[in-house]
Amino acid sequence: MKVTSAIRTEKLTKDYGSGRGLFDLDLEVAEGEVFGYLGPNGAGKSTTIRLLMGLIHPNRGAAEIFGLDCRRQAVEVKRQLGYVPGEHPDFGGLRGREVVAYLGAMGGGVDQAWVKTLCERLKLDLSQRFRDYSSGNKQKLLLVLAFLHKPPLLILDEPTSGLDPLNQQEFYTMVREARDQGTTVFLSSHILSEVEHVCDRVGIIRAGSLVRVASLAELHDIRLHRVEIEFAGELPLDRIRAAEGVSDVTIEDHSLRCIVRGSFAPLLAVLAGAQVVNLSSHEPTLEETFLEYYAAEPKEPVAC
Amino acid sequence: MLRYGLRLHRWGTLGFGLVAFLSTTAQGAAYLKLAGSTPAERALFVKTMTALALQLSYFLPLPRHLDSLAGYVLWRAWGTLPLVIVFWAIAAGSGAARGDEEKLLVESWLASRLSRARLVAWRFAAFGAAALVMAALAGGGTLVGAAGVETIPIERLAGQVLTLWLLTLACFGLVYLVSQFPGSKRGAQVLGTVLLLGLYLFQVAARTQPSLEDPAWISPFHWYDAGDVLAPGGTLNLTGIALGAVTLVASAVLAWLAFERRDLRGPLFRLRARASRARQGGTSPLLGWPVARELYRQRWIVLAWAAGIAGMAFLMVGIAHGTVNALLALPGLRGFLGPTGTDPYRGYIALIWFGIAQALLAGFAVHVVAGWAGDDSQGVLSAELSRPRRRWAIVAERAISAVVAIVLLAILGSICTLIAAQQIGVTLDSAGVFRATAMLVPFALTFAAAGAMASSWWPRAAIGVLGLLVFASYMDSALGPVLGWPAWLVNLSVFLLYGSPLLTGIYWNGLWAMLAVVVVGFGAATLLMERRELSR
Repeated sequence: MKVTSAIRTEKLTKDYGSGRGLFDLDLEVAEGEVFGYLGPNGAGKSTTIRLLMGLIHPNRGAAEIFGLDCRRQAVEVKRQLGYVPGEHPDFGGLRGREVVAYLGAMGGGVDQAWVKTLCERLKLDLSQRFRDYSSGNKQKLLLVLAFLHKPPLLILDEPTSGLDPLNQQEFYTMVREARDQGTTVFLSSHILSEVEHVCDRVGIIRAGSLVRVASLAELHDIRLHRVEIEFAGELPLDRIRAAEGVSDVTIEDHSLRCIVRGSFAPLLAVLAGAQVVNLSSHEPTLEETFLEYYAAEPKEPVAC
Repeated sequence: MLRYGLRLHRWGTLGFGLVAFLSTTAQGAAYLKLAGSTPAERALFVKTMTALALQLSYFLPLPRHLDSLAGYVLWRAWGTLPLVIVFWAIAAGSGAARGDEEKLLVESWLASRLSRARLVAWRFAAFGAAALVMAALAGGGTLVGAAGVETIPIERLAGQVLTLWLLTLACFGLVYLVSQFPGSKRGAQVLGTVLLLGLYLFQVAARTQPSLEDPAWISPFHWYDAGDVLAPGGTLNLTGIALGAVTLVASAVLAWLAFERRDLRGPLFRLRARASRARQGGTSPLLGWPVARELYRQRWIVLAWAAGIAGMAFLMVGIAHGTVNALLALPGLRGFLGPTGTDPYRGYIALIWFGIAQALLAGFAVHVVAGWAGDDSQGVLSAELSRPRRRWAIVAERAISAVVAIVLLAILGSICTLIAAQQIGVTLDSAGVFRATAMLVPFALTFAAAGAMASSWWPRAAIGVLGLLVFASYMDSALGPVLGWPAWLVNLSVFLLYGSPLLTGIYWNGLWAMLAVVVVGFGAATLLMERRELSR
């Protein structure tokens, strides 16, 4: 295996039985890359991350971080990374600053000035007891802990869960800044638009298997929108049906519904000159996207 | 709903039901051996126990009808159950009122169209069903223990079961009610403990102070003590039953009214000044040091146990004169105070007080292990392992912090013992007290090591497994010799491995055995921790 990869897995498998788990994952994330790990709930994202963290053990296969074995060299691995878990730990009555001091000392000490900067950016009050934090503030504390030691790798399991839009934007900025400084980021999410904000490349996992790895540009072809057009007069139906990326066209009274994959440009081009009264579009959930996109495809794992 | 409610109380029902069943069975089974079978033996037994009971009124009600098995079991087994129930009521009441809120369960129940009134009613009904199982098991144990010796009419037994059930529910109701005031489960536990132990100690004082007889009716433990329906010629205390029912209903209604008024996960009344004070505080440097950070996290637990051990040391040594004099007056009980020629006061402190100190430190070990298991289930262990920490280092840090805390508690207990003994004019040799203190450390660590192994293997079951081990070990040491169990079985008890170092020096075989368990326990805990997967 090459040492230049930040993360590399080979046939990594964790089988919980009954088809649940993670199967034969071959994945490589380059140093300095921001990699989005997308999948619906229960697809195996957190299992992958917990295997990388050495918290659970694989049935077979291997996982390496910066060339270090995630299980046998777990301690050395964790000197290289910051981590946000998918579930909040419960630190009970400890205050935020005590949690930072407690876990920060385990990672080699705390730079108070940096902690202050992080808290100001995320608007987090460290004087409160952990049990009194809202779930959003608990998530902010976990982000502070992940960024605490300015690690070369960030492993973030659904990091924006519970954050308000302003803090989400701040988090995206923090990730971009970290990337600019050479940090590798492995970020799981079940929200397609979220990974588009920050990721260079995306891996898509479904039912425990990696089904696709793509660059952000390539991602557009799996992205779909449900579009509804209200119109007066006639619409060029044949041209709409023939437009690139448009499918499932139905008409009811003066309302047309269709699905658009990728760019809107072909659809807008054929609508030019038509009497469109209203046009609305919404992005389906990732589950719906997968159902649409992969419904007919066999579950074939891919390597990247 | 009721089935789900019962499920929430299943471990408490199982654990406390088992304690109730085993203690009633064991006391019934031991009666013939202790009391003898001839009228003369019984008369001496009644005289002896009556005298002893006055000194034990801090733990047991005053006995009645000791000439019958039912009367004896009522005193020794049913009489100790209220103290056990106090702990269950505190855990269950604070857990139902606040623990489930902290787990966000209450939020989801209320979101599913369950009204607050129905939620309160459901929690009382569920605990009522659990308490009924426990009380019925106490009744069942009484029948099993009395089998072949004495027939206990079923209506008398049912009356006793009803009395215990109402006491348990009333205690739960009171804790559930006061749990509405603070904003956290820990606060609820503290308030519940203060209330129930206060009411219990009030009744304890009333047992020997006639002037407190009337005001003691505010304590549910007084109503319970006043009933003796199980014993021959006893009556069902209808006033007590009625007061128990009123307490139950009143606590449920008041708790519901408070619950309606307050915010979820908030106190009933808010104090605004606290937040600004908290902002000014710093962070303890102890959090940056291995072992010290574990002790810092356990500081309130250690302080609470330290206060309890110090208080018990002064109390138990303080009553030494009365107890020893009562025992010396009865030839049959002289042997309880050590071998012939032993200073009886020294014997009392060595055997009775250090026996209680053993039980207290075993309890502390269970509490510490509960914290370790909690770290696992609450995701704190995963958070620690996401830092560059070796798994064996976590077990080692836990073990060392347990050693430090146990040493501190044992030393404190011994210092208090020496001071209290001096106050009553009893001279203890410091070398003997040092031996007795030192042996408490491997004794408590034995349970901590077993708990470390259990919490590394299956954290959710650790407390149940360790609690059962402590209870079985205690019962083995207490009943084995009385019931003539084989020596190898009796010697399995960790309580016996401690020996009586104040009187007879260190029991070396016991010490080696305990150290072996400590090494094997923590060693196995390390191996299991290396191999195991973290669920959260």
